[in-house]
Amino acid sequence: MTMGEFDKINAGDTFTGAPFAVTRDTIRDFAEGSLDFNPLHLDDNYMQGQFGKTKFKGVIMHGMSNFGLLSRMMTDWLGPRGGVYRRMETRWVAPTYPGDTITPSGRIKQKNVTGKSHWMLFEVEMRNQKGELIASGEAMAEFPAAA
Amino acid sequence: MSDFETDFWKDAGKRKTWDDIVPGERRPAIPYVLTLEAIHKYCRSVGDLNPLYFDAEVAKKSVYGGLIAPPSIHILLMFACTPADDWMRTPGTINAGQSWFYSRPARPGDTIHMDSRALDKFIKKERLFVIHDNVFYNQDKEVICSGRGWTIRPQ
Repeated sequence: MTMGEFDKINAGDTFTGAPFAVTRDTIRDFAEGSLDFNPLHLDDNYMQGQFGKTKFKGVIMHGMSNFGLLSRMMTDWLGPRGGVYRRMETRWVAPTYPGDTITPSGRIKQKNVTGKSHWMLFEVEMRNQKGELIASGEAMAEFPAAA
Repeated sequence: MSDFETDFWKDAGKRKTWDDIVPGERRPAIPYVLTLEAIHKYCRSVGDLNPLYFDAEVAKKSVYGGLIAPPSIHILLMFACTPADDWMRTPGTINAGQSWFYSRPARPGDTIHMDSRALDKFIKKERLFVIHDNVFYNQDKEVICSGRGWTIRPQ
């Protein structure tokens, strides 16, 4: 006996999150909301330089915005299905700039049953309006056994 | 958090560089009281208006029994619990990736404690990497979440 819709969901199923239009204002809002005021995200003059062998063409969205938006997609999708979001691992592949619109998506990779619970593994990614990969990773959710 | 220093340049000279960072060494941390206002500000910044974070009545009837913070609130907690002279705030720090496991939700009013350290450092493709690991606890010493991050340090 499992909680939620664990048995109804199949490997290979896909879903998408809400598109997110990135602007200087949304970047500023994220800085205020996360307390991450790194000038990478706010200072045009600073972004003329080089950073750890990396060069950007202007201020960039916080990498952790990707993380927050992917997490939101997971909780939005899992909540109605009785799943609990447990883990996310992502790496950033390309920067996101003001003017980009990014969309998260997920795919069920596999299901696992352990001695005490039920687990679902996901592949997740973020792409911009050109279809370019911005972030990729994996997530895990638990579907606890019904009481 | 009105006393938070938003000018990340201000204490730049006091912060450890890649050369100074000792893997295994704990990072100083400061306790942080998580307010509903801070939760809402973070949620709105990622467009997340889930009623579990905003609607007390809905949240009360949920399995959580009351308002909670979203799992990714650790993004805020990382900076809220970090002193101004910590290398996490060094301008030019590039986030290369992170992994987090969520054990229980943080709630408005929780006093959050961070246990954090540099775990490893290495050079790859001429970039200076540091891996940090972190655990956030509530006032009852219950683990909220734990995770690791990969950053590229400025030259």
